[in-house]
Amino acid sequence: MILGMLALIGVFVSTYLTLYKLGYIGQLQCSIGSCETVNTSPWATFLGLPVAAWGLGFYVSALALAMVSIQEKFADSRAFSLAFVALTGWGVVFSGWLTYLELFVIDAICIWCVTSACIVVVMFVVSLADLRGFRAA
Amino acid sequence: MVKKSKAPSKTPFYAALAVIGLVGVGALAYVATRPSNAATTVDPATITAGEPQGYLLGKADAPVQVIEFADFECPACGQFATLAEPDIRKRLIDAGTVAYRFYDFPLPIHKNTWMASNAAACADEQGKFWEMHDQLFNAQDQWNGQATSRPKSKFQDYAKAIGLDVGKWEACYDAKKYQPRIKANEQMAIKRGASQTPKFVIGNKMVGGAISYDRFKTYVDSALSLAKADSSKPRGSGDSAKAAAPTKGPGGQ
Repeated sequence: MILGMLALIGVFVSTYLTLYKLGYIGQLQCSIGSCETVNTSPWATFLGLPVAAWGLGFYVSALALAMVSIQEKFADSRAFSLAFVALTGWGVVFSGWLTYLELFVIDAICIWCVTSACIVVVMFVVSLADLRGFRAA
Repeated sequence: MVKKSKAPSKTPFYAALAVIGLVGVGALAYVATRPSNAATTVDPATITAGEPQGYLLGKADAPVQVIEFADFECPACGQFATLAEPDIRKRLIDAGTVAYRFYDFPLPIHKNTWMASNAAACADEQGKFWEMHDQLFNAQDQWNGQATSRPKSKFQDYAKAIGLDVGKWEACYDAKKYQPRIKANEQMAIKRGASQTPKFVIGNKMVGGAISYDRFKTYVDSALSLAKADSSKPRGSGDSAKAAAPTKGPGGQ
């Protein structure tokens, strides 16, 4: 359930950044860091799509997975826990790479990107705890 | 996530999702439609009152008059200039639909933007404002305030690349010959209520942000239909001069 709530928050953060990238939002609310520098850099696009759109896809997938996994018939399914660990683990790697680019290549930090990275890390930790719960049971 | 024998009630979870959803949708709706981003109707009479300081692209008497207030160092302006503007030039300006005028709106938060406006104004002296405009926006990350505190050598490279008489350009640049013009453009942007960069006046609409080509064209189409509606009205109706005004931009260069 925590994963579902975190995923939904992530959906909104990534939607905000995607809307900015697509030109629907003039300026980002960015009290800390240089969001525009990061989001208009060449690294803000990955395989032809805005990185924020990839993030949106990630969070929507995680939300869908969370919604399915809470159904009664899947209550004892370990597969969902494994899927969450795999998905959020990939998210941590991707976010880590993006944070590295911000810190050492672009030389600017985007508070929204950092927020998203934090959400992904927390989701990964929760997923690991969930999987450990299965092992202990 | 829930597992094992007895699952707790899902009601609090759904309630939490609903709250997050409402807050999120509300916040997104607010940022997407707040006044600084939404198109607003402006008084066309004030548009024609500007000094002829803008840099014109296209036919001055094109049916739709567009002005842009922009800061050379603003990333959103750079994004617009490199992503949407090439299509706008090809499909709307070269086609004779739009007369496009650029006005400097250097923001105090950008430390090299005044120098960039200065470089572009000096390029204009040799008839190459738009070439310098493109160089500045394409390579914004090389000369902006985060990259350097001495951007002149970069500007000099661009002057060379676009075929300017570099000596003449440099003399103009060092003399800051066009500072009064840049200041006047900035004042005009403030007077017109340009609260952000880039800001566009398209016909009788004012809209801000790095808008897409499609969105830009929507406003152009709207201005064009106003112009067509006006031209189809019988002369001497009394309203024609007023109705024509929305598609007329600043007084021209």
